[in-house]
Amino acid sequence: MTNKSNNGFNTWQKSFEKETKKNFSDAISETDEGINIKPVYTKEDLENFSFVKKQSLPGQWPYTRGPKASMYTNRPWTIRQYAGFSTAEESNEFYKKNLESGQKGLSVAFDLPTHRGYDSDDDLVMGDVGKAGVAIDTVEDMKILFNNIPLDQMSVSMTMNGAVLPVLASFIVAGEEQGVDRSLLSGTIQNDILKEFMVRNTYIYPPEPSMKIVADIIEFTSKEMPKFNSISISGYHMQEAGADNVLELAYTLADGMEYVRAAMSKGLDVDDFAPRLSFFFAIGTDFFMEIAKLRAARTLWAKIMKDFGAKNERSLILRTHCQTSGVSLTEKDPYNNIIRTSYEALSAILGGTQSLHTNSFDEAIALPTDESARIARNTQLILQNETGVTKTVDPLAGSYFVENLTEELSKKAWDIITEIEELGGMTKAVKAGIPKLKIEESATKKQAKVDSGSRVVVGVNKYKNPKEPSVDVRVIDNNRVRDDQIKKIQAIKESRDTTAVKKALANLTNAAKDETNLLVPCIEAIKLRATVGEVSKALEQVYGRHFAKSLSVSGVYGKHFEGDKEFMKVESKIKEFENVNGRRPRVLVVKMGQDGHDRGAKIVATSFADMGFDVDMGPLFQSPKDVAKDAIENDVHAIGVSTLAAGHKTLVPELMKGLKEIDPKSKIIVFVGGIIPEQDYEFLYENNVSAIFGPGSNIIESAEKVIDLISDNLSKE
Amino acid sequence: MELVDKIFKGERAAIAKAITLVESSKDTDQQISRQLISELIKKPGKSIRVGFSGPPGVGKSTFIESFGSYLVSQNYKLGILAIDPSSQITGGSILGDKTRMVEISKNPNTFIRSTPSRGTLGGISMGTREASIILDAAGYDFIFIETVGVGQSEIVASNLVDIFTLIVGPGSGDELQGIKKGITEYADIFIVNKNDGELKMEASKTAADYKSALSYYKKLDELEKQVLLVSAIEQTGMEDVIKTINQIIDQNKLKGIFDERRADQLEYWIEEEVKNIIASDITNRLTSKGNISKYSEKVMKNEMSMYEAVETITKDTLKQ
Ligand code: B12
Ligand SMILES: Nc1nc2c(ncn2[C@@H]2O[C@H](COP(=O)(O)OP(=O)(O)OP(=O)(O)O)[C@@H](O)[C@H]2O)c(=O)[nH]1
Ligand SMILES: [Mg+2]
Repeated sequence: MTNKSNNGFNTWQKSFEKETKKNFSDAISETDEGINIKPVYTKEDLENFSFVKKQSLPGQWPYTRGPKASMYTNRPWTIRQYAGFSTAEESNEFYKKNLESGQKGLSVAFDLPTHRGYDSDDDLVMGDVGKAGVAIDTVEDMKILFNNIPLDQMSVSMTMNGAVLPVLASFIVAGEEQGVDRSLLSGTIQNDILKEFMVRNTYIYPPEPSMKIVADIIEFTSKEMPKFNSISISGYHMQEAGADNVLELAYTLADGMEYVRAAMSKGLDVDDFAPRLSFFFAIGTDFFMEIAKLRAARTLWAKIMKDFGAKNERSLILRTHCQTSGVSLTEKDPYNNIIRTSYEALSAILGGTQSLHTNSFDEAIALPTDESARIARNTQLILQNETGVTKTVDPLAGSYFVENLTEELSKKAWDIITEIEELGGMTKAVKAGIPKLKIEESATKKQAKVDSGSRVVVGVNKYKNPKEPSVDVRVIDNNRVRDDQIKKIQAIKESRDTTAVKKALANLTNAAKDETNLLVPCIEAIKLRATVGEVSKALEQVYGRHFAKSLSVSGVYGKHFEGDKEFMKVESKIKEFENVNGRRPRVLVVKMGQDGHDRGAKIVATSFADMGFDVDMGPLFQSPKDVAKDAIENDVHAIGVSTLAAGHKTLVPELMKGLKEIDPKSKIIVFVGGIIPEQDYEFLYENNVSAIFGPGSNIIESAEKVIDLISDNLSKE
Repeated sequence: MELVDKIFKGERAAIAKAITLVESSKDTDQQISRQLISELIKKPGKSIRVGFSGPPGVGKSTFIESFGSYLVSQNYKLGILAIDPSSQITGGSILGDKTRMVEISKNPNTFIRSTPSRGTLGGISMGTREASIILDAAGYDFIFIETVGVGQSEIVASNLVDIFTLIVGPGSGDELQGIKKGITEYADIFIVNKNDGELKMEASKTAADYKSALSYYKKLDELEKQVLLVSAIEQTGMEDVIKTINQIIDQNKLKGIFDERRADQLEYWIEEEVKNIIASDITNRLTSKGNISKYSEKVMKNEMSMYEAVETITKDTLKQ
């Protein structure tokens, strides 16, 4: 530091301390990532960088400033809204309307049965068909989905990981039957299985065969589909599950490295496939951090790929899609969400994303309506057309703060990446459950900050709206969708060449026993009208179905509340309960159906345990009948159903029935948490649900209510 | 008692309620529980009780899922008592066993109950023995008791079962030197789990290490201890396990060891109950008289020696 600037800084610091009546050092705040944010940054904060190059240009090594030289000045980012619900027919209508209103690319959300490789007529998925995405059972559905959407002109992104083989095969065959050669198809298949095991939970097979499938798809597309991104390496879901930005960044890039190795192990040269790797990040509310994250991601990836020996420049460049954060959006005072989403979108743009999804304001209530989807889309149209943000590339370059943050994030992420590499890579780490646990720990900390009020969420724990607006919700009649799908499946099964289908499926099973690329026999089976479920089962015969062993964090929530009055009140209520009843209140927390949103359930379970409950944690994907058996055998006082994927109206009554079937006199009470539109409250109460805890519920308050309800119920004996 | 009939009929909810009673810390529940158990042991069932113990994370639950699936597929009825070590000292606990026993927990021929160990010795919780009596009365063929193996816990656990199994992981052979030779006295079978994939070599080596160590400690008149290799994940070696269990049970029955053990365990149980009653009685007397604080003050003031105080308090407490 030169003397002159030093003097200047000292004067500034004095003024600062006078104005704030605080020491400079006390004004430094720590982010979730453990990065210290100073109240001011100076030129000195650009010194000693090991990752960020101070004078680089957009489209140049190390690509911090963007993958392209011209960025949005030439062509703005692609507005790509993630959507899908009900039947292929209805989703197709919705897509076409959106494209007419200015959306540029498609992004398909499949329903959970499709994700998990079950056909709509499978008993296991009764409550889930068409609910949280579109149901695709055969190539016929896929063709309807893209009816009048020319696949040689429209880029299509598909979020599919578990059932990636039959779904990609259906897309290829649908294109062919539309008259479009596979080499002309453009878009992206998510095909990122590692993060499924960590946070997204739509895996089907165990990690090893799943990684083989990923590699098969990279190999196939690199040879036959030159315009198609073979994978979308996703950090988005990690942040949504609770990861801070360093974890998101590090795990995503470490996943990427694992996929590169998997593809290279098939004998591919790194430059054969690397240009077609793409990424996907979440953009949360921490405005500058998110910008820095995208810049850091590009910087680190370039280095990683160079180390892999990439020669082609396009192999070094990280291209990404982004989505604003759904978890930052609230059920309470929902119009605030439009504002949150706008800022997040701006962050993504300033960070240089290639495409973007903006969430609808009813995110924490249900799937978007036509109206809320329009506002979400317009958020981007306004940014593109009215604000001038497209006119300058990487406008924050040179900002002491943003550059410094980019470097800090890079460093921290690199440390984690190195650690994982030393452990033997992400597949190993994921199998041991370490990343999942770290993310859950981070999620639990965030929840504690909100519940204790040390983090403000407008309209939730502060500045509450005394007159909550009521909003329209999209309602999906899953029974009707299911009936429609079943009819279509039956019709196809009657008209197809059954012997040929059987043979094709047997071929597929055989192929799974050796190193054959599975997409090839898969396309054959799909062409002959084998269903997504049949194809998945053919592979399951060899690979088996994966069941996750879930670990739990402990003590993280409680630690945040040491000495807290409300927390201690619940603790003492529990002690009193134990004295009266001879045991602690015991609650079974469950996930039923194919809903894989486990963040809420895990956080509630660990927090309740910290307060003194005995909590039984059920596995994912339980049937209501199995839950009833568990609950009764463990003689729990209550069942807490966590439900986010809209299966509650089918699954909760089934659970009640299950309990009565085993024990007609069962006194186990049931409460429900998660995404429940207000319109459904009455239905649930009529079905004897004792309490409902929606998004944003304070866990300590919920716990108190639960113990009161249990005590009341016992005193009725 | 109505509950008793329902248990004999195998009613799930009744079994569950009864286990709650025997685990309860409430006096009134304990009284009912004693009556209940007295009724139930009048008509003993035919169950074989098998203990599974081993260090955290060796795959006990996964093994039980795997082995249990095999048994129910052979039409056996299976009761499982999982003592979950995850409880905290001050807080509650998260009982996650069900996430590791997904398949068998669905089966109508199983009954699975997890219990927080609450820091009791050996992870055996209060009521485990009674719970196994309930499951026996309810007609389960096998009762599995899963406990985490730490310190002395194996000894406590082995006192509740007909056959005691120690599950170990590949590479644990090195720890053998550290294991006191008493190990052979309470474990009947040693299972080396995770005999799969990259771990196969290591697992075989571990099994060999155990075999040689065990033959070294073997007493003359004793049966050869069995060391088995399994993979819970790949479901291999399960037939060997059931074959070995049946063999040992048959032999033990033939030689009278089976009944002898049960008699010993009964003796131990009676002794324990008596000790418990005396101990709690003494504790009550101690607290009601407040002698301890009274005399410790005297010791502090040098009015009497520590040992004099102890003697005086003891005499005073034991005097009716
Ligand atoms: C995070 C998230 C994800 C993450 C999940 C990560 C994980 N491991 O959980 C990711 C990105 C992977 C994901 C994926 C999907 N998601 Co999502 N997701 C969300 C999101 C943004 C937040 C949910 C959340 O975790 N919140 C934080 C936790 C702490 O809150 P919570 O669960 O609500 O719990 C609180 C209360 O509800 C209550 N509570 C909840 N459970 C319980 C239980 C008990 C016992 C008690 C006392 C209280 C209680 O207390 C908690 C604390 O306050 C919601 C929208 C939203 N803002 O809510 C959509 C949302 C749930 N997702 C949705 C969809 C459609 C999906 C997908 C199916 C999309 C697709 N077609 O591919 C996938 C598939 C996931 C799967 N396998 O099921 C829809 C569901 C639509 C509907 N219900 O009609 C939502 C509502 C978004 C939307 N509007 O479209 N998602
Ligand atoms: N490779 C391999 N891993 C296994 C096997 N059995 C269990 N595991 C893994 O070991 C870990 C622990 O398994 P659990 O069954 O929970 O072990 P546990 O002994 O019951 O653990 P605690 O109840 O916590 O003491 C899990 O990650 C299992 O997947 C096996 O046969 N082979
Ligand atoms: Mg276990």
